[in-house]
Amino acid sequence: MRVKVFNGEGCRAKGSDEVYRALTAEVRSQGVQDRIEVIEVGEEHCPGYCTLSPSLLVEPSGMIYQDVQVRDAPGLVQNLVEQQEPLSKKIYSPRKLEEIPEEQETDFFGPQLFWTLRNRGRIDPESIEEYIAMDGYQGAAEAILEMEPEEIIEEVKVSAIRGRGGAGFPAHIKWKAGAGARSDIKYVVCNADEGDPGAFMDRSILEGDPHSVLEGMIIAARAIGSHHGYIYCRTEYPLAVRRLSIAIDQAMGYGLLGENILGSGFDFHLQIYQGAGAFVCGEGTALQHSIEGKRGMPRPKPPRSTDKGLFNRPTVLNNVETFANIPQIIVKGGKWYSGVGTEKSKGTKVFALSGDVRNIGLVEVPMGTSLRTIIFDIGGGIPDKKKFKAVQLGGPSGGCIPEDYLDLPVDFEAISQANAIMGSGGMIVMDESTCMVDMAHYFMDFIQDESCGKCTPCREGTKRLLDILTRIKEGQGEEADLDRLESLSAYITDTSLCGLGQSAPTPVLSALRSFRKEFEAHIIDKQCPAKKCPALLHFEVDPEKCASCGQCYRHCPAKVISWQKKESAEIDKEKCIQCLTCYEKCRFEAIE
Amino acid sequence: MNEMRLTIDGREVTATEGMTVLEAARSAGIFIPTLCYHEKLEPYGGCRLCMVEAETRGRTSLVAACVYPAVDGLLVRTRSEKLDRIRKTILELLLAHAPESPVLLDLAAEYGAEVNRFEHQASFCIHCGLCVRYCAEVKQKHAVGFVDRGIRKEICFIPEIAAKECPDCQACFPLCPTSYLQSVYVLTEALAFPASAEAGKA
Amino acid sequence: MMTKCTCREDLHTIKERASREMSAQTSETFEARVMVHMGTCGLAAGAQAVMDVLKEEVSRQNQVSVKVVSCGCAGMCSSEPNVTVERKGEPTIMYQHMDGDKMRQVFRRHVLNGEVQTDLALARIHGEGAAAKNPFAAARGQ
Repeated sequence: MRVKVFNGEGCRAKGSDEVYRALTAEVRSQGVQDRIEVIEVGEEHCPGYCTLSPSLLVEPSGMIYQDVQVRDAPGLVQNLVEQQEPLSKKIYSPRKLEEIPEEQETDFFGPQLFWTLRNRGRIDPESIEEYIAMDGYQGAAEAILEMEPEEIIEEVKVSAIRGRGGAGFPAHIKWKAGAGARSDIKYVVCNADEGDPGAFMDRSILEGDPHSVLEGMIIAARAIGSHHGYIYCRTEYPLAVRRLSIAIDQAMGYGLLGENILGSGFDFHLQIYQGAGAFVCGEGTALQHSIEGKRGMPRPKPPRSTDKGLFNRPTVLNNVETFANIPQIIVKGGKWYSGVGTEKSKGTKVFALSGDVRNIGLVEVPMGTSLRTIIFDIGGGIPDKKKFKAVQLGGPSGGCIPEDYLDLPVDFEAISQANAIMGSGGMIVMDESTCMVDMAHYFMDFIQDESCGKCTPCREGTKRLLDILTRIKEGQGEEADLDRLESLSAYITDTSLCGLGQSAPTPVLSALRSFRKEFEAHIIDKQCPAKKCPALLHFEVDPEKCASCGQCYRHCPAKVISWQKKESAEIDKEKCIQCLTCYEKCRFEAIE
Repeated sequence: MNEMRLTIDGREVTATEGMTVLEAARSAGIFIPTLCYHEKLEPYGGCRLCMVEAETRGRTSLVAACVYPAVDGLLVRTRSEKLDRIRKTILELLLAHAPESPVLLDLAAEYGAEVNRFEHQASFCIHCGLCVRYCAEVKQKHAVGFVDRGIRKEICFIPEIAAKECPDCQACFPLCPTSYLQSVYVLTEALAFPASAEAGKA
Repeated sequence: MMTKCTCREDLHTIKERASREMSAQTSETFEARVMVHMGTCGLAAGAQAVMDVLKEEVSRQNQVSVKVVSCGCAGMCSSEPNVTVERKGEPTIMYQHMDGDKMRQVFRRHVLNGEVQTDLALARIHGEGAAAKNPFAAARGQ
């Protein structure tokens, strides 16, 4: 019998040399040199089981042992001599090929329908040829060479696609207004200033399939008669910007962008404009100001952008996901697209699923899929045996949806009725350890920080909302604060200049509506049920339950816990910094 | 020019195309309070004090009169319980910055706003933007601008331009409802171009 | 070298050539295609280290011609870094939670020897190359 110890460079790093020497010594000490030959094989014979090393191969049986340690040597040699089934947990026995699920059989990918993300991770995003291989630029070719602008808009109308940026405005109405506007210069603008916390749909599309956005924009340009477009992409997405630039260069190279596209005489030039890091520039008019080189502040509507937008010219502005859907609508027809979805929301929607959920990632589902399916089937539910609490949709403009509404279908109207918004697609799952006051505080802090500061209600009002929430979090809240939150919120919604300001109080209002008891617990009982607000936590050791293990004492970073063997621990409440360490370390639930 | 008829507070008012609701109201002698409006400047819609109720085709919405276009058949109410409450809140939020501004105090008396409803703030600026916009739109000098955003937003003189343009202009000074502008200017002058200030005095 | 397309035929010509050349099943220039999913999410999870090992391994051998592609996110961010391996005539496999060691193993065992490292795999992507899984392309073919 021969034992080959793999002793290449990588294996040595993990201690294979020591294993080899231990085995050689063991074989000698057991006096079985004549039956077992131990040899080392170097890099040139490396089988490549890098994750199994230190590993060895037994011949002639062909058995591979993985993760062999020096201490395994005696048992291993003995078992080999006795020819038993040795050290079974060390035997490398991978699952069978058939046991690997088909992509469509997996919980995560199975229920999804990849339309917008059709090329996700399938093509080289830096190769226009691969995009063309996947039927890329066929939609643009058809729109430019074979369709009249009215026909394009009609097809988009039949598809009934609604803007994927959040508000769900029907794309064809915008396009029609853009086409109807009289001006020698018109613009097509792509909003790629994805700023909602927890949203990364657009980034993924731009990084994985940039040409689909370009193609959608070319079709839009043809439909409204525009010859110049901008992609307003946030600077925080350097890879997206790089891949877009490459895509634009390649499309220009093939004559699919620029002058005389496909020999048709139609021109369309595209430019990337990088945002400077303001959330508010995701708002259409602020975005246009930013491209114009002005301070990114929204302006009041009317006029609509389709009448007077960028540089005071008619402008059609859609978001990344909307444009990425357009090419297929042209190639396969609006009817095909509207064949999926609910009565008023057609097609698919991409969500960025994150938070307290097992499977995190991009999820594309047909409109009408229930939130429960997304969170519990695709997302795999809540990890660590915790309970679901709420899901936040639509970022700082959206609200949270509690368990009772989980069977809601993904549909613009249905979600609005549950006091949230569809939003651009950020979906943050929260488990029971999330404090809703803390959550509302987080979003309000975000909004007041990102407010452009132009109009009074958004600039001053959100700061005041934050002050009230901070007070509640710190145990200084009064009962009247809840009314103050509501009336101030109503005021901000009624009077703010732009959509961001108008929707700014939504996270607070929706949390208040669904979890009012939690707010009251903070204010009246001075308690944080989720144990997240440090100011409201007072830690005490229950001497009945305390096992005197000393874990809390050892881990307390502030050294305020006194403990001696066989005696229960005690926390100095005056000096406690409420860091939760002892609470989490205690295995006997003795700390409350 | 197209003539349009709208009803403001029960009175029929004629307006020409391109006029805002505020301009139509003012032309008929109807008062709507404003802080960021100035006849020489582009409508801004920032202070929101001029919010009115506008009704078209049976739908009422709250709009800022200074930016909302006057359209034929529009029904406008400039005072209501709701509007008064909104204006009261706006004034209270701004009074937290400038509790002694005469302009604000006059309006506060009208709408019953309390000076101390909100905790007072360190900055006196109420962000009407009159100085910034006047300098940019009328004087076209851009000597003063906004920096930062949200609650931290403030006005700021650009020293290089201010040193050259401001000593002989200062046309924005009377526009400021709180005198905060003057103090920012004095500070900029002291820090950035004291020499020219001395020269000016001499 | 890019030549400008002046009609739809030109686009079709590129398409035909590119479809053939993007899959290990039909390509005449390579036998295996290894895609490292390098979106921002993948990079944050360590995809660059995976790519570095892959390139090092590719340059070290000359038995199998391998095409290395850096592509976008495959969707399941919590399983990243992901690597997809396609070999001529074999099912395409997507691997999860990759690191340098796993990449080396997948390269030496699977890419070179055709032995799927099942314990590291996330899913089988069935069919002849990527196109078969594309509902867009599938419907077009009908």
